[in-house]
Amino acid sequence: MSLGTDASTGSAGAIVTGDSSTRELLSGGLVAVSFASFVVSLLAVAQYVPADAAIGGVTLATVLGGALAVVGLGVVALGAGSYAGAFETEPGQTGGLVSAAFVGALWFAVGGLVGAQTLGLSLTWPVLAVVTGGVGGGVALLAREDLGVTLSTGLFVLLSGLVVLTGLVGPGWRWSPEGFSITVTAVVGIPVITLFAALVGAWTAARVYGGFGPQGRQLGAHMLIGTNAAGMLALLGSIVGFIVVRGFGPMTEGIKYGLYWGPWTWFNPPLVDTWVVVEGPIVWFYWPFVMEGYSTLGAGVDGVLPAIVGTVWLVAGAIVFAVPLGVGAAVFLTEYADKGRFTFLVEISTNGLWSTPSIVYGLFGLAFLVPRLGNTNSILAGQLVLGFMLLPLVVITSRESLKSVPDEYRDASAALGVTKWETIKSVVLPASLPGVITGIILGVGRIAGETAPILLVTTSSPFPSEVAGVVEGGFRFTSAFPFVAVPDVNLIQSSSALPYQLFAVIGAGLGENLDFAWGTALVLLLVVMSFYAVGVASRIYFRRKLNQ
Amino acid sequence: MSETDFTQTEEPTPGVDDTGSETTAGETDERVREEWTDYSFAGDAKLSVEDLDVYYGDDHALKGVSMDIPEESVTALIGPSGCGKSTFLRCLNRMNDRINAARVDGSVELDGEEIYQDGVDLVELRKRVGMVFQAPNPFPKSIRDNISYGPRKHGDLDTGLVARLLGRDDADQELELVEQSLRQAALWDEVEDRLDDNALGLSGGQQQRLCIARCLAVGPDVILMDEPASALDPVATSKIEDLIEDLAEDYTVVVVTHSMQQAARISDQTAVFLTGGELVEYDDTGKIFENPESQRVEDYITGKFG
Repeated sequence: MSLGTDASTGSAGAIVTGDSSTRELLSGGLVAVSFASFVVSLLAVAQYVPADAAIGGVTLATVLGGALAVVGLGVVALGAGSYAGAFETEPGQTGGLVSAAFVGALWFAVGGLVGAQTLGLSLTWPVLAVVTGGVGGGVALLAREDLGVTLSTGLFVLLSGLVVLTGLVGPGWRWSPEGFSITVTAVVGIPVITLFAALVGAWTAARVYGGFGPQGRQLGAHMLIGTNAAGMLALLGSIVGFIVVRGFGPMTEGIKYGLYWGPWTWFNPPLVDTWVVVEGPIVWFYWPFVMEGYSTLGAGVDGVLPAIVGTVWLVAGAIVFAVPLGVGAAVFLTEYADKGRFTFLVEISTNGLWSTPSIVYGLFGLAFLVPRLGNTNSILAGQLVLGFMLLPLVVITSRESLKSVPDEYRDASAALGVTKWETIKSVVLPASLPGVITGIILGVGRIAGETAPILLVTTSSPFPSEVAGVVEGGFRFTSAFPFVAVPDVNLIQSSSALPYQLFAVIGAGLGENLDFAWGTALVLLLVVMSFYAVGVASRIYFRRKLNQ
Repeated sequence: MSETDFTQTEEPTPGVDDTGSETTAGETDERVREEWTDYSFAGDAKLSVEDLDVYYGDDHALKGVSMDIPEESVTALIGPSGCGKSTFLRCLNRMNDRINAARVDGSVELDGEEIYQDGVDLVELRKRVGMVFQAPNPFPKSIRDNISYGPRKHGDLDTGLVARLLGRDDADQELELVEQSLRQAALWDEVEDRLDDNALGLSGGQQQRLCIARCLAVGPDVILMDEPASALDPVATSKIEDLIEDLAEDYTVVVVTHSMQQAARISDQTAVFLTGGELVEYDDTGKIFENPESQRVEDYITGKFG
C-alpha cells in the first residue's frame, strides 16, 4: 500500500494515500492473534484441547489470556495513536449507532455479571449493568471513531484477557449463579470468555486495519461475516467428521474382496451344438455391513441391508407419489387459477402442511392408511405418508420456480399462436426445472431421515435379518426383453428403514451395539448424500441446458 | 372525451376545420380529427379497425380508434408514453385477451374478416399476425429450436423422437425453414455455424433478429412490432430498421416506436396517438412530419409537447 509519493499527505481528495504499512502490520498482527485465539478457544469449548493443558510450562488458559491482553492493549494503543495523528486514518466523527449499541450490550453484560457476582441478585446489579453499558456504549458513540471504538472494545478484550491471565477465572474456578441450578466450571468458562473476547478483538483490529471510516467498517463486517461462514462450514464438517470417524470402522468391518477364475458367459451355437464357456477373472466383493441383515445368532457381522432397502423403497415411492402431484398442483395454481381466495387458501394450507409435525402425519397414517392397506404396517403406507410430507414442499418450491419464469416467454409463445398447455410443457416447465429439482432435493433430505412416521406405519421388527421381499420370487436380470424379471411386487409388508434402525439400536440400550449405531448413521448419511448427488447433478445438467 | 362527443361532431364543416388547425383548442381538434384520421390509399386494407375502445378495469385506454392499414407497407404508430399505441398494437392479434382486466369494444377486420367475434381461432389468428416485442425474448433453447418452435407446436413440423425412429421426421424441412427464416431476418450468416448453441448467448441485436425470424417461421402476413429497437444500440437498431424495410416487400408491418426519426426513416404512413388514447392524425409519413393538420401533432413532432 505504500504507493504514496511525498506530495500525498492524505488530505481530503487525495487518491493515493500515504504510507500505512506500520498500522497495517500492527493491526494485521492483532487480527491474526485474535483469530488464532478464537480457533483455539473453539477447540477448547469442544473440549478437544483442555483449557488447563500445559504448553511450554504454562497453561493454555494463560496463553489465551496473555494473547487477549496483548490484543486489547494493542488495539487501544493503535486507536490512541490514530487519535494523536501518529497514523494516517480516516475515522468517522462517531463510532456509529449499531457499533455503539453492540459495545453497549457488551459492557451491559460485563457490568451485570460482575454486579451479580459481587452484589448478589439484588436491585443494584441492574444499576451497575446499565451504568457500565451506558458508559461503554456512550464512549463508542460519542467519541471520535478511532478513539471511541478502540477504547471501549479494547478495554473489554483487555479485561477478559486479564481475568483469565491472572487466574481470577482459573482452573479451579466454579460459578453457581444464584437462582439458577447450574454450575459453570473453568472447563467451559475460560474458553467461552476467550472465544467471545477474541471475536471482539478481531473485529476491532480489522477496523483499525482498514483505517476506520467506511473502509474500516467494511473490513470489520467482512471479518465477522467470514468467521460466521467459516463457523457454519466447521459445524457441518465436525458433524459429518464425527459420524465418519466413529462409523467408518464398524461400517467397513469384514470387507473382503479378491479375484477368482470363473465362467463369464456360456452359449450353445446352433451348428456346433456344444456348450462354449468363456472364462475369465471375476472380481468378488463382500461388504457384510451393507450386504447382510442383522445376524440373528450373534455370529458374523451385523448388517443393515434390510434398512437400506427399506429407506430406498420409501424415498423412491414418496417421490413417485408426490412429485407429479405437487408439480401438477403448482402448474394449476400458477398458470391456470386466477389469483384469489382459492389460491390464497391453497397457499395457506400447503404452508400449514409443510409445518405439520411428522408424528402427526404418522398418526394419520396409522389410523387411516394402515387399516385400509392390509391392516398391517407396510412399505406402501410409509411411502404414502412420506409422500404427503414431501408434497407441500414440492408445491411451494415448484410454485416459486414457475413464478420466476419470465412472462416474456409466455408472451412470446402466445404470440406465435401456441396454446397455453404447449407453452407450459415446452417452455415454462423446462425453464423451472432446476428450481423444482432443488425443492425435491430439500424434501428428500427431510423425509429420508424421518423416524416417527416410519415407526408408526412401516416397521415391525427392530433388528430384521431379512430384506423385505418387496419383489417376491426374486428380482433378477434376464437376457430377454425387458431384461428384468419382477414376478410380484409386494409393498404390503413391513420393513425397516435406516433412521428407524438407528433409533432402535440406541433405544435398545445395548452398549456393545453403539458401534452398530454409528455405522448405521454413516450409511444413512451416505444414502441421503447419494440422493443429493443425483439431485444436484440433474439440477446442474438442466441449468446448463438452459443457459448455454 | 366520451363516445357521445363523437356522434355530435360527425360532420365537421369546412369553416370549423380551418379555424381548428389554426387554434390550439383541443375541442376543435376533436371535431376535425375524423377527417385527419380518414387516410385513403391505393390498394387493399390488410387490417381495418373500426371504433376500437379498450378498457383496463376503469381505465379507458383507447378511445374510439378507427384506421385502415394498407398491405405490404410499414405503418408506424408514434406518440408519448401511455398514449395507447402499444395497447392498440396488442389488439391486432388479440394479445390483450391475455390480460384479465382488459376489455375490448369495436371491430378489427383482417382481410375483411372480423377477429373479434365468436369462433375465432386464436392459434390461426396469431399464426397470421405475428408479434415482436420490445425486449428480445428468445426461449432458453438452441437457435434452431427457437425458429422451429412455432411450426413444431402447430404440427407443421415433426422432429420428435418417435417420428425420427420411424423415419418420418421433417428434419430436412426444418433445416430449410430455419435457414430461410434466418436469411429473411438477416441473421443466417452470423449463426449458421452454431445453430445448436443456446440463443441466450447471442447479442441483444442478434436476439431481436432471431425473434423476428422466429415470428417469420410461422408464416404470418402481418408482423406487429412493439418498439423493436428501443433496447438496442445504434448499430443493431439500424440493422433492424433495414430489416423492417425489406420485410415490407412481402409483409404488412405495423411498428410502434418512441423515436420519431425512426418512424420517419422506415414507415410509409404514420399514426399519431396522443395522451388519453386518441388517434389524432393518420396520414402519409411525409405529410405527418412536414405538414401535419393538427396543431397538437405539430407540437409533438417539433418537440414542444410530449
